[in-house]
Amino acid sequence: MRFNDQFDFIRQHMKRNKLRVATTILAAMMGCAFLIILASVGFGLHKTITDGVLDNQLVTEIQVPGKETSDEKITDEEIQAMREIDHVIAGVKRSSPDAEAVAMLDERKGYVPAVLVDFEEEQKAGLALSQGEMPKSENEVLVGYHFAKQLLTEEEQKKVDEGEEVKGFTDNVVGQTFKLELSPYKEGVEPATWEFTVSGIMDEPAKDWIVNSKIYIDDSFGPEFNNKLALGESYNEILVYADDLQNVGTITKTLKDEGYYVYSVTEELDSMDMFFTALKAGLIFVGTIAVLIASIGIFNTMTMAVTERTREIGVMKAIGAQPKLIQKLFLMESAAIGIIGTVLAVISSYGISFLANWLVPIIIKSSLGGEEGMDDVTLLISVIPWQLVVIASVISIGVAMVSGWRPARKATKIDVIQALRQEL
Amino acid sequence: MIKIQGLQHTFAIGKKGKERRVPVLKGVTLNVEKGEIVAILGKSGSGKSTLLNILAGFMAPESGSVKVGGNETTTLNEAQMANFRLESFGFIFQNFQLMPGLTAFENVELPLKIKGMAEHERRKKVQRLLEEVGLVAVADHYPNELSGGQQQRVSIARALITDPPILLADEPTGSLDSETEGDILKLIRSLNQSLGLTFVIITHDEEVANVAHRQYRLHDGELVKGEKRHAI
Ligand SMILES: Nc1ncnc2c1ncn2[C@@H]1O[C@H](COP(=O)(O)OP(=O)(O)O)[C@@H](O)[C@H]1O
Ligand SMILES: [Mg+2]
Repeated sequence: MRFNDQFDFIRQHMKRNKLRVATTILAAMMGCAFLIILASVGFGLHKTITDGVLDNQLVTEIQVPGKETSDEKITDEEIQAMREIDHVIAGVKRSSPDAEAVAMLDERKGYVPAVLVDFEEEQKAGLALSQGEMPKSENEVLVGYHFAKQLLTEEEQKKVDEGEEVKGFTDNVVGQTFKLELSPYKEGVEPATWEFTVSGIMDEPAKDWIVNSKIYIDDSFGPEFNNKLALGESYNEILVYADDLQNVGTITKTLKDEGYYVYSVTEELDSMDMFFTALKAGLIFVGTIAVLIASIGIFNTMTMAVTERTREIGVMKAIGAQPKLIQKLFLMESAAIGIIGTVLAVISSYGISFLANWLVPIIIKSSLGGEEGMDDVTLLISVIPWQLVVIASVISIGVAMVSGWRPARKATKIDVIQALRQEL
Repeated sequence: MIKIQGLQHTFAIGKKGKERRVPVLKGVTLNVEKGEIVAILGKSGSGKSTLLNILAGFMAPESGSVKVGGNETTTLNEAQMANFRLESFGFIFQNFQLMPGLTAFENVELPLKIKGMAEHERRKKVQRLLEEVGLVAVADHYPNELSGGQQQRVSIARALITDPPILLADEPTGSLDSETEGDILKLIRSLNQSLGLTFVIITHDEEVANVAHRQYRLHDGELVKGEKRHAI
């Protein structure tokens, strides 16, 4: 029999039992759609959280907090070696002196952290200014975007203590010269004061909840601070920058192999991936149970179809149809039920997923009473990647064919003589 | 064309363990020549259908040999036998055995579909045959919209469509009134004469048997030659 004739044949049979076939398809569709929707929540959560991680930090940044093997500090030579790893564009050291820093501009005063940096390397790492220019001389510094806001008069300080909002220094801070007083945390050492001029202001932080009021001072000042104040050991932050996100993984691995503690976005994503892969597999497994329940319907429908058509199958065999052909026709019919059910399930799943992603955030927002800060959170309840469609299709069409297997076998075993003896 | 030799078959009847063995065929031997109509007469339950079912390959005999066109068919497996039937036999059944969901045309077309013939080719062929057996007017009727005689004509057309050399008929007029029976017998005779087809007809009816060149009677599991040889 030709394939298109086989196709016609099963189509005719399915038409003859429209209602029964339709309800079976409906069951298959519901099973498969349940599987897809359920698993899509796992994919949605994974995406929401992954996007959150990638959004909230510089993804090409790799933190190197220390060494696994000893408590020793990472030396400048070692940082230099890190810079030479493939795909590393910069390796910076930011050291915070072991002292409290207070900036003073006229009668204004602000508690702001001071950091010693290598401007050249910071620029390679992607430092960007919103105003002004890079420091040219030793006494020039950069300040964080929120620096000026932290410089308060005594009056303003009182207001802040009472919980009120204040503006801080509103004039352009670029070109201003301020005093920086460092009071060592170690007792018995007198504070010392330096004068710096602001040459530029850093870019606004990527997220509106990050506050950057730091003062960035050239690291050549390190020895001077130490001499004057007999400072304790400074706290060093060491960061390595990759040229691209896709190289972060290998750089992380290289650094780990060299015995450093490493923390990068891939580290975080890797541990998350593991959790979410397990979650998704679990959801797919639970969803498969729905598909299996639907398969009982397919099994019943096909068994009934075979019983009903016993005489016709007998005639087919009598006039020379191969048992293989009979089997194939019934398998095709159960596969067709599975395929149609799956196609409908995929279409409706995308619809439901779309609705859920649109409706659920609206409901959440309204129940939170329109709180601020929710607007830039993209909450994905359900995501259906093509891989999920493939997995669900394979499962539900496969299960449909397996449940059609026994009825189809039964059809091939029908005895011609018995079948022809059946009453019309 | 057909050579049956020493065919034996015994049925076991009743509950398992206490079944009764009933010998139905006890060494049947029969030769049918090409272009011949042979009728096998016998009382109900004498084993006529069993003989035909074995010849058709619907069941295997206990022992004995069946040769069709020189080929031993009792040793073929199910798939080979299905193929052999498709090539060599056309079937005419007592209750027509048409597919209720197919029109007269589609019923006749079915064996060609199973054979895998292309659509335009088989449509031409079916159309031509329907013209020959006088069914063009009812080609798009479903079996339940046809009279008994018309249904049997459709079933004969379905048997003929693959051009088989041999037609096997089990009580072909058993469900028809005597007038329609006459029509069908005429059709069988004319097909035999014009196309040289070989017929094996099973019947309990002497009238029907008269269409045959030779008659046999199945009695007590043995086949004996009928007294009168009818000349057509
Ligand atoms: N499948 C079977 N199992 C047991 N006995 C059978 C079977 N088929 C036929 N018989 C018996 O074999 C005998 C011959 O049956 P059958 O060939 O149908 O006779 P006929 O066609 O001449 O009326 C009958 O007694 C019937 O009961
Ligand atoms: Mg009989």
